[in-house]
Amino acid sequence: MLLGLLIAALWAFADLRINVATFVDGAANAARFAARVFPLDFPPLLEILALCGQTLAIVVLATLLSTLLSVPLALFAAANTTTGQVGRLSSRAVIVIARAVPDVVLAIVFVRIFGIGALTGVLAMGLHSVGMIGKMYADAIEQIDDGPATALRAAGATRSQQIAGGVLPPVLPAFVAVGLHRLDINLRVSVILGFVGVQGIGYAIAESLRVLNYQRGIALALVVLGLCVVVELISGAIRTALLGRSTAPKRGPLRRAARPDSELDLDEDVVRDPRLRSAAALIENRLSPPWDAQRIGTTGYAAITAVILVASFLGAGIPYWDAITALPRVFDSIGLFFPPETGGILGSLFEQLLVTIKIALAATLIGVVLSLPIGALAARNVAPSPRVAAVFRGIILIIRGIPELILAIVFVVITGLGEVAGAVALGVGAVGLLGKLVADSLEEIDPGPENALTATGSSRAQVFFAATVPGGAKALVAHVLYLLDTNIRAATLLGIVGAGGIGFYLLNASRVLEFGVVTTILIMIFATVMLVELLAIWVRGRMSAG
Amino acid sequence: MSVVELRGVTKRFGPDVLGLDEVDLTVSAGEVVVLLGLSGSGKSTLLRHVDGLHLPTSGSVRVLGVDVVAAGGRELRALRRRVGFVFQQFDLVGSRTVLENVCTGALGRLRGPRLGLATYPRALRREALERLDRVGLADRAFQRADTLSGGQQQRVAVARALMQQPEVLLADEPVASLDPESSAQVMDLLKEISRENKLTVLCSLHQVDLALSWGDRIVGLRSGRTVLDLPTAGLGHDEVMAVYSRVGADASAVLTVA
Repeated sequence: MLLGLLIAALWAFADLRINVATFVDGAANAARFAARVFPLDFPPLLEILALCGQTLAIVVLATLLSTLLSVPLALFAAANTTTGQVGRLSSRAVIVIARAVPDVVLAIVFVRIFGIGALTGVLAMGLHSVGMIGKMYADAIEQIDDGPATALRAAGATRSQQIAGGVLPPVLPAFVAVGLHRLDINLRVSVILGFVGVQGIGYAIAESLRVLNYQRGIALALVVLGLCVVVELISGAIRTALLGRSTAPKRGPLRRAARPDSELDLDEDVVRDPRLRSAAALIENRLSPPWDAQRIGTTGYAAITAVILVASFLGAGIPYWDAITALPRVFDSIGLFFPPETGGILGSLFEQLLVTIKIALAATLIGVVLSLPIGALAARNVAPSPRVAAVFRGIILIIRGIPELILAIVFVVITGLGEVAGAVALGVGAVGLLGKLVADSLEEIDPGPENALTATGSSRAQVFFAATVPGGAKALVAHVLYLLDTNIRAATLLGIVGAGGIGFYLLNASRVLEFGVVTTILIMIFATVMLVELLAIWVRGRMSAG
Repeated sequence: MSVVELRGVTKRFGPDVLGLDEVDLTVSAGEVVVLLGLSGSGKSTLLRHVDGLHLPTSGSVRVLGVDVVAAGGRELRALRRRVGFVFQQFDLVGSRTVLENVCTGALGRLRGPRLGLATYPRALRREALERLDRVGLADRAFQRADTLSGGQQQRVAVARALMQQPEVLLADEPVASLDPESSAQVMDLLKEISRENKLTVLCSLHQVDLALSWGDRIVGLRSGRTVLDLPTAGLGHDEVMAVYSRVGADASAVLTVA
């Protein structure tokens, strides 16, 4: 089966004529491109900061909206906290639909309602992000140990008390981590949204390119790149800090064995009798936690987060009163999308869908070929030295920071409009996602087999192929399928910049308000993605059995 | 007046698994009863029926005068407030402080969800601190619960149960995850607070000698049926083992005192 996929990808690669000749032509283009772009024209620092600030404000608010909507949805979607089949299925449906409607489409619709501005971006990204955040929150909820919540239930707690006291505390770190991850993604999405009218750096880039001011456009693209990297580093650090703290494994043989009492109290003070210590604490009657370093730290982080949120509310430039009164119109506009129509171009749509799939397949192939060596060298347990691992991690990070759209634009200029640009752009960009996943998975492999082999005197390469690869193979297949899924969605959007595929028709239909056609296209994309997901489930099933 | 009354309780989990098989059990106020059996014998399932965490496939369960099967949500919650439960895996919320964990025992008394120590009234926190001192851990009040040893976590769980001011205490293999020293400490603590608060206690164990030394009465289970029901006074280790090792024993032959 996987072989079939590989063959399909190779055919797509060949069919798109991605070959050396195209690149040689492209080299000349690249030279011309460079001449047009340099010297870069950066706006004054204050303007840069203002643009960054506004973009961040929009992205923060969008992610916040998304998390607030996702928590109740996830509680209904998770098997252990849901109220029943109806609740579970409908909330899962909402999450899937949110994921299926691209933020770009939402943005185009909202521009019609709320005009060009920040609110459009907040709503478009906020609602679409529910698709990812809602799903990951539900997964996190389903993975917790149900013991504490059951204990509360046994004590007579109501459902909401059980959830607040027994479900939310364990999932809180995961919730924050997922939120931060989506924040990174939304920052890059906001650049694309700028092309359809959402304020921020993306909008500034779009305007510059529209008037062919490549010097300003690419300069701003570099600013975005820098911003993405910085935000990613900060959020990554926060996430490591959060998830590095103890998360006790679920019930089962891996559950941490409790430490016997006799092993503790190594650094206790003079009072050796525990009963006396307890009595002393009772007399002291302290009823809230002491202000130690940890409490100050946690409170500090909370305060900073609050400040960021308030600043975002104020800095986004959203006319809140107008927004609230305009909200009912959102529901009206949803009606515009039904029924699905073909607009007489169904044949062309299928043709372009095929092109999009080809782009995604080729991009996935390129991505895998590039990511395996890069990801492997970024894993500390495979790289020849920690410094090499760090360098490759850095490369992956930088690639992640580049919004696919920018990559696509660059390749469009180099290789000309069309599918090749799209495929190569996505393929290179995939290294950022797949490379990281490969590196992380390799590092997380149980070191037992590797250590055992090393102890018998095997060389690095032997260890890699005999112990590391089999351990990581299952994860790799899952990642590749996820990458294909992501690439299909991304490929659809690249049509917006002329990188080939059905995205062009999507944009067009939205622009001329043929929302029925938009729905048809979305259904086609959705069906394709669903097929890939079903494929993934089937493959995973085969791998577990085999 | 019987506090716990099970009549003909049968519990099926799916078509193949029979958890309990026509179990009859009566427990009077103030009794300290041990449910003895191997894992899979149905001890845990039985205990959970007493708290309404499981409902029987057939049969009746009456606890503190309440018909558990017929009880609606509010009635059931009110009943659970009066029944404390200590679990084998302690089941504290690991990431929260010890004091907050004890406070959660009083959720049945409060309206609305709570998250964070500050959301509990001061008076309640004071009471929780006193319960903690009763189990000897008041000095650990602000530590993360999962930084405590197993024995300490179980004692916190006992303090949490005490916060309910219960009339009945259920304990499901409370010391199975603990080392011998902590085991003894926790069992002693359970015995003391049972006497102090005049609680009716049902505790499931799989250690025969511990059951004989700790409980007033032993109810032995095997494959979901009761095979033994005797006071521990005068009961010997070999007698108990004989019941369990009897090959092809007629499961309906239950030894009772006339």
